[in-house]
Amino acid sequence: MRSPSAEVAHLRAEGLAYAYDGKPALSNVNLSLEPGSLTALVGANGAGKSTLLHLLQGQLTPQAGGVWLGDQPIQRSRARVALMPQRGRIDWSFPITVREMVALGQVRGPRTTCCELDAALQRVGLLPLASRRLDALSGGQQQRTLLARALIQPAKVLLLDEPCAAIDPPARQQLLGLMRQLADAGYSLLVSSHDWGDALDVYDRVIVLDGRVKADGTPSAVRHALATLTDLGNHCCG
Amino acid sequence: MPLPRLPIWGITAVVDAMPWWLLPLLMALLVGAVCPATGTLLVTQRRLLQANLIAHAVLPGLAVALAVGIDPALGGVVSGVLGALLAERLQRRDGRSHEAVMNTVLAGFLGLGVLLIPLLNLRLDLESVLFGDLLAVGTTDLGRTLVAAASLLLLVGWSYRSLVFLGVDPDGAAAVGLPVRSLRLALACVTALVVVSAMAAVGVVLVIALLCAPVLPGLQQVASLRAAMVRASLVGVALSGAGFALALLLNLPPGPLIGVACLGLLLPGAKLR
Repeated sequence: MRSPSAEVAHLRAEGLAYAYDGKPALSNVNLSLEPGSLTALVGANGAGKSTLLHLLQGQLTPQAGGVWLGDQPIQRSRARVALMPQRGRIDWSFPITVREMVALGQVRGPRTTCCELDAALQRVGLLPLASRRLDALSGGQQQRTLLARALIQPAKVLLLDEPCAAIDPPARQQLLGLMRQLADAGYSLLVSSHDWGDALDVYDRVIVLDGRVKADGTPSAVRHALATLTDLGNHCCG
Repeated sequence: MPLPRLPIWGITAVVDAMPWWLLPLLMALLVGAVCPATGTLLVTQRRLLQANLIAHAVLPGLAVALAVGIDPALGGVVSGVLGALLAERLQRRDGRSHEAVMNTVLAGFLGLGVLLIPLLNLRLDLESVLFGDLLAVGTTDLGRTLVAAASLLLLVGWSYRSLVFLGVDPDGAAAVGLPVRSLRLALACVTALVVVSAMAAVGVVLVIALLCAPVLPGLQQVASLRAAMVRASLVGVALSGAGFALALLLNLPPGPLIGVACLGLLLPGAKLR
């Protein structure tokens, strides 16, 4: 597994705007991700969470503003930002083993060594299941497979699109525990989520999105700030 | 008139010395191996509808190629790929229903092909295009199928991991910067080659059966795309071989018999209400 080196860079977005067929999805979004932080990105469905993650990874090009990793535009350093997609976008019945799925994290670079693969699988607790087919795993194990694939990439920043959706509470706790370990090891994690209330306390920071950044701060500060915005608060309770 | 056949120097004498059934049998086995292997890629990439479009969109190209005197297979491949590209462009531009656009382009190209035959004063046997004539295949048909097989092997050998990534997680493949559109175009070209080369043996309609049926029984049992392709090819070879032998025994056309055998493959275990 590739560990984040000392030169972990800040991911920074300034004045981001994006529209689908003229319909604005995001406007004037500014944020910066600190290395070693676990940040939640919350908002109602359609608030622009997935769009923002795709912009931050460089898969979408903003119509205004820009994204930088350190001093470089994101388009030049996409490999250093890993995006873990929503589970609904994966074909879980595809004939593939857990090991082969994780190895896809290095599809563009030199082949991953067995040691790197085993280390990533070990880290997410899936080494004993490495030879199983992907569709033989539980939902939580499948999500951990995707996380291991992100860890194989030479990425210091992990963007996770609703990783805790449609998995049971114990699996969710396990996944959040893994994310915390990764943040403590120096990774920057931005996790889109429908969590709300006390469930946000596991994160270092919470960003509330509704086409633009509505609130940004520690979980308690954000809860306090949003107490007056009851309509948005209601929407966020997923 | 079946598709014209180009001479392959030096082979004619060998072919003349072979028993009459050997060349059709070789063709049946080769098509039985290549179509399901290609079909496995198409099923796992969710591109079967595009393959169906390509299979029907080859007709205008065949007609034009025959009219201007070039290899009709080349015209068919170009026409099939153009149909697939047009459908993709229309769908992306307007955001319309993928399936509706695909089926409309399919019908349009098929209609254009049927119109071109009288307009260009061609004598093209539509029945042989649709259902093939395995017993009438020649060395050129075998050669075309070998070229299609080689192109498939090249694609898989060159881009296996990318194809796996694209199949299991298209968004992730785009996120890591894989050339998604180029890979899909390459797959469309290989599909067109396979369809056109198999047409002489089993026809456009039955190519679809061979692209799909042998893939399905084992797809949930294998642990890799490679194993799924090999397994589907083995099933396809068995189906084609059995269909060909039955056709000789019962004095029936082998192409449709192979198509029926494909359907029979799916029936065991099915609960019909």
